[in-house]
Amino acid sequence: MGAGNHATATTGLPAHPEKATFEGKNKVLGFWLFLGAETVLFACLFGTYLALKNSHLGGPTTQDLFEIPLVAAATIILLTSSLTSVLAVLEMKRNHLGRMQFWFGVTVLLGLAFLGLEIYEFVHYVHEGHTFTSSAFGSAFYALVGTHGSHVLFGTVWITTLMVQAAKRGLNLDMAPKFYVASLYWHFVDVVWVFIFTVVYLMGKVG
Amino acid sequence: MKANAEQTKNQTAVQTSQESAWKHVTSFAVMIVLTAIAFAAVATNLVPSHLLVPLLLTLAAVQVVVQLYTFMHLNQKGSGFPVAFMASGIFIGVISAVALMILV
Repeated sequence: MGAGNHATATTGLPAHPEKATFEGKNKVLGFWLFLGAETVLFACLFGTYLALKNSHLGGPTTQDLFEIPLVAAATIILLTSSLTSVLAVLEMKRNHLGRMQFWFGVTVLLGLAFLGLEIYEFVHYVHEGHTFTSSAFGSAFYALVGTHGSHVLFGTVWITTLMVQAAKRGLNLDMAPKFYVASLYWHFVDVVWVFIFTVVYLMGKVG
Repeated sequence: MKANAEQTKNQTAVQTSQESAWKHVTSFAVMIVLTAIAFAAVATNLVPSHLLVPLLLTLAAVQVVVQLYTFMHLNQKGSGFPVAFMASGIFIGVISAVALMILV
């Protein structure tokens, strides 16, 4: 049975199941290194966007395009999903499989709602003449916001597949680090959105 | 005896996570308030325009620190390496972003 032998279903998981095994510890540590690298990736996309946001070639500008209510709704959805995923991890630490699955399920649904809003927004912009190839502003905008959106999509697929795996195998010291790093990824995606709504949308409205 | 010890250990674990559930809801409320201030500052024109961008960036930075230290558990013991990785990422990221803004 290996390292997880002492933590059976009757006695429950240890207080920090994600770091109870050597493999789990390394998984979490390595994931933070990855998040450090992701920070640099997004910083470069932000720098490019800020350099090119006024190069709109006579097309719609940030002030013409952005609608604050839509961005506010997307922000509330993603912030809430960050809370639900941390609640899911707490239930995981209490060894409550059903409640953990519930909160991760809510997280995935909120992620999908966010993606729905983003797709609606992009379709709307394309009708306004703001596309990936319409200007340097368009390219930089879709590169930054689209990379974030693809992270949200990847996160929903990742968490969903983990939920399927947990439904089959139950909670153990092998599953716990997987859920823990998936939730770290989800929080990171939310952290990036905080800067997107600030730098792209709010500062875009300011001009 | 052994079963009792296990049970006590589990109860302690449950109690700590119940405490932190409230902590997380509290930090969520803080994040919502910071977000609301940022949106309100842009919507209402109450803040002088030269202070608006610094205010928005500060609010975002505070919110990210709250998120990293509560939801992402960097406040826990043994987070030295994760903090070092993220600090390096932010350091290199800021230099890259500023350089791109100036050079492009």
